[in-house]
Amino acid sequence: MSDYIVEMKNITKKFPGIVANDSVNIQIKKGEIYALLGENGAGKSTLMSMLFGMYEPDEGEIFVRGKKETISSPNYATQLNIGMVHQHFKLVSNYTIAENIIMGVEPQKKFLGILPYVDIKSSNQKIADLSKKYGLEVEPTKRIEEVNVSIQQRVEILKMLYREAEILIFDEPTAILTPQEIEFLLDIIRGLRDAGKTIILITHKLEEIKKVADRCAILCRGKLIDVLDVASTSTKEMANKMVGREVSFETEKPEAEYGAEVLSVQNLTVRDENKFEVVKNVSFSIRSGEILAIAGVSGNGQIEIADAIAGLAHVSEGKILLNGKDITHYNIRKRTLEGISYIPEDRQTYGLVLDFTLCDNLALKNYYQEPFAKKGIINHQEFEKFGEKLIEEYDIRSGQGNKTEVRSMSGGNQQKAIIAREVEQDSSLTIFVQPTRGLDIGAIENIHNQIIEERSKGKAILLISLELEEVMNLADTIAVIYNGEILKTAEAKSLTVKEVGEFMMGVKSE
Amino acid sequence: MKQKVDPLTKFFVKLLGNEKHQKFTIPVFAIVLSLIVGAVVIAFLGKNPLSAYWNLLQGSGIAPKARYAGGKSMLTDFFSFMNYWTPMIFASLSVAVALKAGLFNIGISGQMLTAGFITTVMIGYSTLSAPIAKPLVIMIGLIAGGLVGGLIGVLKYKFNINEVVSSIMLNYIAEYIIAFFINTKYVDPVSRQSKAVSDASRLTLMNVQIGDLKFEIPLGIILAILVAFFIRFLFEKTTIGYELKAVGANGKAALYAGINVGKNVILAMTISGALAGIAGVTYYMGYFASIQPKVLSSTGFDAIAVSLLGNSNPIGILFSSFLITVIGKGSTYMSSTAGLDAEIASVITGLILLFSACGAFIQYKVKRGKDRIEDAAKQAGNGKEAK
Repeated sequence: MSDYIVEMKNITKKFPGIVANDSVNIQIKKGEIYALLGENGAGKSTLMSMLFGMYEPDEGEIFVRGKKETISSPNYATQLNIGMVHQHFKLVSNYTIAENIIMGVEPQKKFLGILPYVDIKSSNQKIADLSKKYGLEVEPTKRIEEVNVSIQQRVEILKMLYREAEILIFDEPTAILTPQEIEFLLDIIRGLRDAGKTIILITHKLEEIKKVADRCAILCRGKLIDVLDVASTSTKEMANKMVGREVSFETEKPEAEYGAEVLSVQNLTVRDENKFEVVKNVSFSIRSGEILAIAGVSGNGQIEIADAIAGLAHVSEGKILLNGKDITHYNIRKRTLEGISYIPEDRQTYGLVLDFTLCDNLALKNYYQEPFAKKGIINHQEFEKFGEKLIEEYDIRSGQGNKTEVRSMSGGNQQKAIIAREVEQDSSLTIFVQPTRGLDIGAIENIHNQIIEERSKGKAILLISLELEEVMNLADTIAVIYNGEILKTAEAKSLTVKEVGEFMMGVKSE
Repeated sequence: MKQKVDPLTKFFVKLLGNEKHQKFTIPVFAIVLSLIVGAVVIAFLGKNPLSAYWNLLQGSGIAPKARYAGGKSMLTDFFSFMNYWTPMIFASLSVAVALKAGLFNIGISGQMLTAGFITTVMIGYSTLSAPIAKPLVIMIGLIAGGLVGGLIGVLKYKFNINEVVSSIMLNYIAEYIIAFFINTKYVDPVSRQSKAVSDASRLTLMNVQIGDLKFEIPLGIILAILVAFFIRFLFEKTTIGYELKAVGANGKAALYAGINVGKNVILAMTISGALAGIAGVTYYMGYFASIQPKVLSSTGFDAIAVSLLGNSNPIGILFSSFLITVIGKGSTYMSSTAGLDAEIASVITGLILLFSACGAFIQYKVKRGKDRIEDAAKQAGNGKEAK
């Protein structure tokens, strides 16, 4: 008998063109929180998908509780008490929470001894008990579409627990959560460990590992680099090993040189479809050479401010001035031409046409202008020339260059393509919304440097981010939004992280 | 782990593995496959499948028949085939334009009927001379179809009414209102259809004597081929096409890029409707000269399948509509000669559509096979190095 609950020996998995895992060895003890750290595409998820039976390894062996197993399907993994919370939830949105949890293992009763039916009452009770036991509060009778992502994640966790999983795999669980929700989740994860479960945490966020994990395996380009004891290793050391080079956390930023006022938002009010005021009487201005960051917990109206400035949301009241010109009632294209670039939060829904090629996407805002088109006739050579230039300048990596379908590109490179296109507009105002969401450290560093560079060129920059660290690092001026109102606007240097955090929670106000 | 690749996989990968040609090879493969299955069905009925297929070609004027009636030859058969083919091309292009913009125009039959009826009444029963009447028929057909299509677009944009629902409803409205007018005002008591339109207004020249042969000459066919190339040009080379495609592929991203989504939805449906309108006039005032009340032509529905088979590509549609029309048009001759029911043609058409719908699956399978062959080759290579 071995001491390890899971052992993966010499695991190799190849996909066409890449080796996702190259003879990886990991050993996981019962009752520990084992983190898998690595950049996007390092092979973390692939490795765990094999443990969960979604793929089979090309080479290597998997031992569970000391016994060699061929895990051929997620069903078999479930039988081995292995559960996984995927990055993208697998829930039926118009079913209730309880129905989602029991799906596939529905308890049955027989009406009058013959007609079978699903015993939803007892499962509701069982789920309520489970959620109480682990502090995962949910209302079993609510539909998935009625609850937010953080609750949906709880449902995914309950789904595993309901199936009596002992080994719980979390794939990037915090990518979609707000700071408070992350804290809550990490508490839950600790609680689960204390209840005797074994937890495997896939992530590229170092702070989380530092907070909860016992041991941490670092993967880089499919290879296992090291297994570290988290308590005795610094975050910096982990980051260096993960990227394979020195990483600086602080972004080098020259002294600010402010110019004339570029954007002025005056008493802006935005209402949503239900006439509810999501942005309430907000005013601020940005000068050239200034980065103004709006800090806030997700869903407090910051996205709507960005949309209102870019023209995607209707302005109910107030005015927006760009370089002194009133653009409140301009349409989107006119605003772009006046000098607004916009890197939207949802890069796949708004930022890109995924079925178009890379060069078609890079020209998405200019396709109708000369030299791309003359009198409505498109010149494809100009598209390609422009595409090649941007690919080169912004280091956008893809399988087939210009001709690559954007859908097949990695998230980081998709974001690079959007930033390349928007920066190339040479607008006086650039709006960045969550520019580094879901990206790895290398890519984040790159994008931060780009934002600073734009500032040095004398652009006005509006940065909207949920990552407090990013805000503190980059901003010259910070505006904190809570519940649609800006509670505080001040020079970044005059604020501490703690203060900003308190304003974000609406605890403090002036 | 050693992997062996069976020769069958190797064969298919070699046949279909080239990604550049897959746009072409996979539909052809699907068609061949469906013809084979169709042959099995025919063989089960105790007939010779090859001669049945040959009959289809003969009936469409592509292969010579054993004997011809007076004034007929293979060439006249082919002209009457083209007469039937013309509305199919326009209708399929109509589907394709809407599909590219992310819309589903299922109301083509209704738009065809509307255009056909309006031109019948306005021009068909007039005494205008041919050089004025024929262009007018096309113009009015185009406008009538475009207006109906545009209406669907406006309903979608202004009131968020799903275009599938509104176009089906408009199909019924057109069908019954037009049937009412035909039955009360324009009916031919003998045929129970609308009275035949004047020869001057008809888009097919009937009984044209050349030598000792009598031809039906569809004037629309030239226009149809030109329009197919024009639609291709529109989508590949113009900003209008770029915008339509962007709206179809991702409406939100198009909005974000500053494209007027509403305008493009209406434009796409107007173009689609206009093409359906031309399909309507080449059908009701070309192939036929009258309208049967309370019947929607099946062309408008078959066109959906033809367009999908042609991958919504205008040039692909020329080929796919040709094929489907051969089967449809040749079926009459096949049934009389081979003694097979004409409905077997629908079975074959159905099979073709079924297999072409599996195109993505075939592509996936081929890719899998290709990967396996590459893996095996690599392992063999590694093995040699080890020695």
